[in-house]
Amino acid sequence: MVTSVVVVGVGGQGVLTLARWLGESAMAAGYDVRIAEVHGMSQRGGSVEVHVRFGEEVHAPIVEEGGADYVVAMEALEALRGYKYLSPRGVLVVNKRVIQPPGRWYDVAQVVEAIAKSEVRHYVVPAFEIALQLGSPIYENAVLLGFAAKLMGLPMPPSLDDKNKEAFLRGAALV
Amino acid sequence: MKALLLGNEAIAYGALSAGLAVATAYPGTPAPEVLETLEEFKDRFVHWATNEKTAFEIAYGAALAGARALVAMKHVGLNVAADPLHSAAYTGVEGGLLIITADDPWMHSSQNEQDTRWYGLQSYVPVLEPSSPAEAFKYAKRGIEVSEQAKHPVILRSVTRVSHVRAPVELEPPSPPKWGKFTKDVKRFTLVPAHARERRKELVEKWERLREASSMFMAAEGSGDFLIVASGVGYAYVKEALRRLGVDATVVKLGMPVPIPAKLSEYAGREAVVVEEGDPVVELQLRALGLKTRGKLDGLFPKYGELDAAKVAAGIAKAFNIPYDPPRPPKPPMEPPPRPPVLCPGCPHQGTFYILKMATAGLSPVWSGDIGCYSLSLNTGQQDIITHMGSSVGLGYGVAASGRQFVVATVGDSTFYHASLPQLVDLAVRPQPMLIVVMDNGYTAMTGGQPSPAKKVPAEKITEALGIPTFVIDPARVKQSVEVVKKAVEVVKSGKPAVVVSRRPCALVAVRKARRAGLQTPRYRVDEEKCVKCGLCYNVLRCSAISKRPDGKAYVDPSLCVGCGMCAEVCPTNAFKAEGNREAWLAAWSQA
Repeated sequence: MVTSVVVVGVGGQGVLTLARWLGESAMAAGYDVRIAEVHGMSQRGGSVEVHVRFGEEVHAPIVEEGGADYVVAMEALEALRGYKYLSPRGVLVVNKRVIQPPGRWYDVAQVVEAIAKSEVRHYVVPAFEIALQLGSPIYENAVLLGFAAKLMGLPMPPSLDDKNKEAFLRGAALV
Repeated sequence: MKALLLGNEAIAYGALSAGLAVATAYPGTPAPEVLETLEEFKDRFVHWATNEKTAFEIAYGAALAGARALVAMKHVGLNVAADPLHSAAYTGVEGGLLIITADDPWMHSSQNEQDTRWYGLQSYVPVLEPSSPAEAFKYAKRGIEVSEQAKHPVILRSVTRVSHVRAPVELEPPSPPKWGKFTKDVKRFTLVPAHARERRKELVEKWERLREASSMFMAAEGSGDFLIVASGVGYAYVKEALRRLGVDATVVKLGMPVPIPAKLSEYAGREAVVVEEGDPVVELQLRALGLKTRGKLDGLFPKYGELDAAKVAAGIAKAFNIPYDPPRPPKPPMEPPPRPPVLCPGCPHQGTFYILKMATAGLSPVWSGDIGCYSLSLNTGQQDIITHMGSSVGLGYGVAASGRQFVVATVGDSTFYHASLPQLVDLAVRPQPMLIVVMDNGYTAMTGGQPSPAKKVPAEKITEALGIPTFVIDPARVKQSVEVVKKAVEVVKSGKPAVVVSRRPCALVAVRKARRAGLQTPRYRVDEEKCVKCGLCYNVLRCSAISKRPDGKAYVDPSLCVGCGMCAEVCPTNAFKAEGNREAWLAAWSQA
């Protein structure tokens, strides 16, 4: 069996790093792994999505629309864009944060409420808030990773530094 | 040892294990990590060249002399290096020469979807195509070996979903570099007509022998009446699709899609579904061998974009008449707003484009753009043409020549050296009224901040030597720079070319260095009393850290602001307040 995850967010948030950590956890758990990254143009403050697949034997590097067991969203508007990847029984994990897109203004509570009312299994994680408590928004990916990894039954990736370990554990504790 | 590696890193390690000595590249997504990985190996000659042709020539020259060499580029880079590529097939090589190209189907970071395998057919250079990072390691190694044995260059065609996929890769240690010593062979290495005619005859014979080499990279698996021929990453999707459909098929996997192995003719007369990323390069060759095919030619698979397991499963199901129900995702509760890529907060280009807009107000220039981060100033309406490396000056010259229009050509420093120098000479020889803006941020930023020649060879030295009036500005100093650029505009209005060099290092690099040094960068916030909702900051400067609040006032996201202070310079009411010392930060930034 292969588990398909799509990690989404905004360029600059550490989406790539989150996905890489997730892949490392899966590898540490003994799985075969594929992480399909995006570099270059797609990274500049725009929508970013990284595909992570793990299991006994993985071939296809990307997740097709409707094929994701999990969508892990570092930003709530990007979570909406991530719906297209969710399988009918897929789970959405979303950071309680909005990064304003050009020329528009969204209220984070409204977006999260809309997601909560939709018919997908979902978890709202205050990763941004916890990261700020830890001293910087740069820890929000590790908090969200902690939550997602615990949910998927994966261990902490070996490469986290102390501060990110703390962030990971804070996220995992919310499951 | 098994490591979680990017396909590009795996290619680099594969080449090292084959005794690579010389490696060159010009950075282009999705290829740059090949050379970035090799940069760590100080016992080899590793060089970021000015463009792909230069990179190709260095590697080719080294291989002529017997060294094992590699050159890496993105797919469109091979257009720039196409001239020496074709000659390399005629002369052959003494040391292994591996040409890495990374194609970008669906154009994640490119201007076209060209399939490098056509170049293999056209230039008589065999093409290897790995299906995964683990295979990329093996093929890079074997590619150099095959090249040296055949005394012929070999292309390794990767795609985004191999180059930028991270997967467990079984590594072997690097082998010592094999250097060369040039041995004269005039009839082989001087392609004057009399010699080239002989080489041509040899080449077509050699091509038949290379079909045998292709067989070594072919493997058949599975059983059953259904026949599938898969190349490269197409194979990965076939495996996945067959598992999903629960059917068995005979799968012929090709690792060298150009030329296809002669022994495939044993399948002549049979119908095969052909799964390949890009154009129907394998499919056409199979038809020439007498197979009936279904694939890209008959539209079984889309003729554009990337494959995925669902598309491949749908195609196979249709061809073999198997039921298939594609997954249906749920609908989002509200439509997500568009979020196109934007210039980073503090990006010097953001200042440059604001300055240009102000200094050319009322002139309605034609904005002739180029390949790089600054193509994102599409968002401010300041890119009318972007086609290829060097298009800014080259096409801008043509537009100016077409009818005396006011042209502003914007080009980054790396692209300037890569593809704009000859056009400048034309401009010096036969002047046209155009403003050329070299946006020197000191790095090849879009591809991850590789070095650019700008630090050693400043652009103004070249343009001044050519006699073109040149002005140097700092884009963070918005107000004073507008006045300087107005002077350059006056030169252009008088019918001559002028150059503006806008110099400030890439904000991403500067902020990264500052954070590592423990430096606190300033932050700006909005004094709500003073903000008059004019929108200059969020509509015209378009800093991506600044948003328009529902009441029309500006808001700076403190987690995104890097303290460049351009907002404070453009604000007519002094509504932006700095927390921290801007001058000290700009001084440190300039050193990045």
